[in-house]
Amino acid sequence: MKVLTVTLNPALDRIMFIENFQINKLHRVPSFDKSILSPGGKGVNVSVALAKLGIPSIATGFLGGYMGRILIEELRKVSNLITTNFVFIKDETRENIAIIDEENHTITEINSPGPKIEEIDLEHLIRRYTMSLSRVEVVVISGSIPESLTSDVYVELVKIAKEKGKTIFMETRDKHISVLYNKGVVPDFIKPDFRMEYSLLGKELKELDDFISQSRKLIDAGAKLAVLSYQIDKDIIVVKDGAWIIKPKVGVDISHVLGTGDTYTAAMVYRYLNGVGDALDIGRYGYVAALAKTKKARKDPPTLEEIEEFADKYVLERVI
Amino acid sequence: MKVSDVMIYDISAVFEDETVERAVNIMAGHVISGVPVVDEDMKVVGFITETDIMKASIPSYFSLLQSASFLPDTDQFMKNISKIRDHKVSEYMSKPPIVVKADSPLIYAADLMIRHNIKTIPVVDDENRLIGVVTKMGILKAALEGELK
Repeated sequence: MKVLTVTLNPALDRIMFIENFQINKLHRVPSFDKSILSPGGKGVNVSVALAKLGIPSIATGFLGGYMGRILIEELRKVSNLITTNFVFIKDETRENIAIIDEENHTITEINSPGPKIEEIDLEHLIRRYTMSLSRVEVVVISGSIPESLTSDVYVELVKIAKEKGKTIFMETRDKHISVLYNKGVVPDFIKPDFRMEYSLLGKELKELDDFISQSRKLIDAGAKLAVLSYQIDKDIIVVKDGAWIIKPKVGVDISHVLGTGDTYTAAMVYRYLNGVGDALDIGRYGYVAALAKTKKARKDPPTLEEIEEFADKYVLERVI
Repeated sequence: MKVSDVMIYDISAVFEDETVERAVNIMAGHVISGVPVVDEDMKVVGFITETDIMKASIPSYFSLLQSASFLPDTDQFMKNISKIRDHKVSEYMSKPPIVVKADSPLIYAADLMIRHNIKTIPVVDDENRLIGVVTKMGILKAALEGELK
């Protein structure tokens, strides 16, 4: 086992394909294959994407109730490369809904807040997390935190992983990244999730300089790479040696971006574990994989062969 | 067919110093009848089932009588179970545990289940660390599909 993924707030994802979706109107899903149920939550999605790349992982986090049981059953169907080790809680796991309109190229997401986590359950998770760390090289901590917990839980998880010398990949909102930064426990590979707010370390990102200067702070604090979504289909990759903008040579359908962030992270982990290239190359490979994902509407991560098809479909420009 | 073909890749377990209540919560969450007991290295040191906990919560003469109708009421059971809820699982687990390797023939796991009258067997690696479980249902499914060879 090489990777441990942590999803504190997993979800059962319901994706519906509805053409010309409009609010305040009755829509009918045309067929069963246009309404897809799948295990979700960022860390879980990374485990699924890693399995597609042939990398085994342990998936941990909190699950609860009927939704939790469906999620774990569905996750087991995905691949034997995913070993589950979830802590079951009293409350119900949340359900997230995504409505994809391929006609108008839109995606509408409705995410639930998540269950209440008891102190005792958190203790049990941390004990199992710590124990699992001895079996892996890489930890992926991604996604939101249930509302009953604070960012301090991420501080603790990152701290424990660092003490054990593990490499940490993280994709989450700035409110958590800021706390980690302020407490001096910065993950190695950071991908801020900008879906809720476009800021990093508490500063709103407007100009290119904002993206670079805020990322630079993470690098100076010990991160090996920060990769930031920029102007929809571009990304800014910042490493110790400089900053680059990476953009596609091919058109990107915005309605197909669901799951690209998780594919990005999984592909970076894959590249890192294979020991190929430096931090910039790891970020570049993540971008190529995310680009390959956008060719699919479903939350279906690409294979190595599909990623390879996009190996030259990007432009990398150094900005610093 | 090997154990690895039908095993569940789940390493949910209870630590030997954790409580009976935690073990029950794990069983209830996963809807399973037993859970492996592990040490800090994730090595399997025992197995605890709902039957082990039930047996520990009912008067000792119950197993001799083999009928709940002799129990005057459920108070005694309730009292007993609340007494042991905070006890360590190591007090009630079966040990040494019956385990199999992932590359063991599935028929071997089936034989162990029949001989020991158990529903679930922890699957371990060469260092005896938990990597999953094989269940009676998994074996039954394989048998129904004619693959239990």
